[in-house]
Amino acid sequence: MTHASEGQTVGAHGGENAVTSDLEGFGFSHMILEVGDLDRSEQWYRDVVGLDVLGRGLMAEERPHSVLRMNSGQLLVLMEVESPEPRRHNSQTIHHAFWLTPDQYRSAQERFSADGIDISDERASFRAKGEFSMDAWDPDNHHWQVQTQGPEATEIIKPGVGVVECGPSEQFAVGSVTPFGKGNFFLIRNDEGFLALSRWCRHRNGLLINQKEHWQFFCHFHGATYNYDGDHTSHLRGVGPLRMNPVAITPEGIVTVDTDVVLERQEDEPPRFTPAGVGARLDGGTHGQDRIDQP
Amino acid sequence: MAKIESISHSGINVVDLKEAEEFYASIFGGLIAHRINFNTDDAQSGRAVHSDIALNDWLFAMCLPRGELPMPPDEQLRGTNGFRHGFHITREAFGQLIGRLQRQEVPFEGPRAHPDNSPLGESVYFKDPGGNFLEVCWRRDVVRGGVALDAG
Repeated sequence: MTHASEGQTVGAHGGENAVTSDLEGFGFSHMILEVGDLDRSEQWYRDVVGLDVLGRGLMAEERPHSVLRMNSGQLLVLMEVESPEPRRHNSQTIHHAFWLTPDQYRSAQERFSADGIDISDERASFRAKGEFSMDAWDPDNHHWQVQTQGPEATEIIKPGVGVVECGPSEQFAVGSVTPFGKGNFFLIRNDEGFLALSRWCRHRNGLLINQKEHWQFFCHFHGATYNYDGDHTSHLRGVGPLRMNPVAITPEGIVTVDTDVVLERQEDEPPRFTPAGVGARLDGGTHGQDRIDQP
Repeated sequence: MAKIESISHSGINVVDLKEAEEFYASIFGGLIAHRINFNTDDAQSGRAVHSDIALNDWLFAMCLPRGELPMPPDEQLRGTNGFRHGFHITREAFGQLIGRLQRQEVPFEGPRAHPDNSPLGESVYFKDPGGNFLEVCWRRDVVRGGVALDAG
C-alpha cells in the first residue's frame, strides 16, 4: 500500500489535477445512475442541475439511457430501471458531488431555490472558510452535494486586534506552545526564542488545533498537519508553511505579537525566532521574512 | 455550455477499508489522501469512519456501512448498485489494465464496444471488493478532467 507523502501529487485538496495513477490518461469518465423515469430525470438534470444533453442510446447498455455532459467532458448517464435504488441497504453517507465555479454556484442556488430545493448546507460545520456546498436529492433520491470554493479559502486573515500582549517572557517555558484566541496564533517558545504562528491553515483557512500528543498542529477539515516550526507535513499538495506574526519583547520583558503584520516564508526557508532577550523584535513586511533586530 | 464543471467525488461503502484501499491502489494506483475518524479529534467532530482515496482527478470517500451490505452475485460483473463509476484511460493503456486485472485475478466482463456515435470506445466492467461496480473505458473524445475535492 502506498501512502501519499510530501512531494507526491495528490491534488484532491489542492485544487489542481494530480497524477496518482500509473495508467496513462487515467481520469474520471462517467457515472451511471439508476432512474425510474428517464424523461423526468433527464429534464431535472438538464433544467435544474444544468447539464448538456448529448443524446440517448449512446452507450453499450441494453436499458434505455440518456447521456449528459459537464464542461470537463465528464458524463452523467441516466439509465432507466424498474425500481431504482440509490443506495444499498445498510449503507450510509452515499453521495456524489458536482463541482462548480463561484458564478455557476450562485446561478445554481437560484435554480435550485426556484425548484423548491433547500439550499442550506447540512454539513456546514465541516467546511473551512470559503468552501460552499448545498445538498440536493434528485427525483429518485440520489444525494448530490453541489460545491464551489471562493477566495475566502486562501485569503490572509487579520483578526483586527492589533498588538497582543502575551505576558512576561519568563512565563513561557522552553518547549511550550501557547494558543491565543485573541489574534488566533500559537506562541512557540523554544531554545531559539519566540515564534508566533497563525492558526489559519494554509490549505483552506481552517482553524488549527494543537495536537500535543503528536507534537503538531492539525486541521480537521482536510487533515493538514504542521510541525512546531510551521512547516507543512501532511499528504496535501502545494501547501505552504504557516504564516507568522512578528514577536517583540518590550523593555519590560513583555512578549508582544503584532497581528496586523503577517509574514510569509518559503518552504525551504527556516522560520526566524525572536530571541528571548529584552528588547528583541522581528521586523517584517507582509511577504518574506525580514531582519531580526536585537538591542 | 453546461452550468456544471465536473463531478468531483463520491461517497461509497466498502466492507473492509484496508482491503478497499489496497484494491484501488493496486488496480488504479490510488493514494490514501485522508483517513478520518481514526483519531480522537476526528471522532469528537462526529464524522463517519472513512478513508479518502485520490485517483487523479477523482476522490472516493470510502465509508463503512451501518450493517451487513448486500452483495451482488459473484458471477455478476456488470451492474449498478444504484450507480456505477466509469474511468477513462488511453486506448494504449487499455490493454495494460486488462493484463493487470488478469494478473491480479480480478474477474471482469468485456471489452465491449460502444456504438460508433458514442463518446466512449470500449469498456471493461468489474467490481471492487465491496461490491461497487466499476467500468474502465477509452474515450473517443477529450476529457480535460475535473477537480477532486474532499468529501467533507
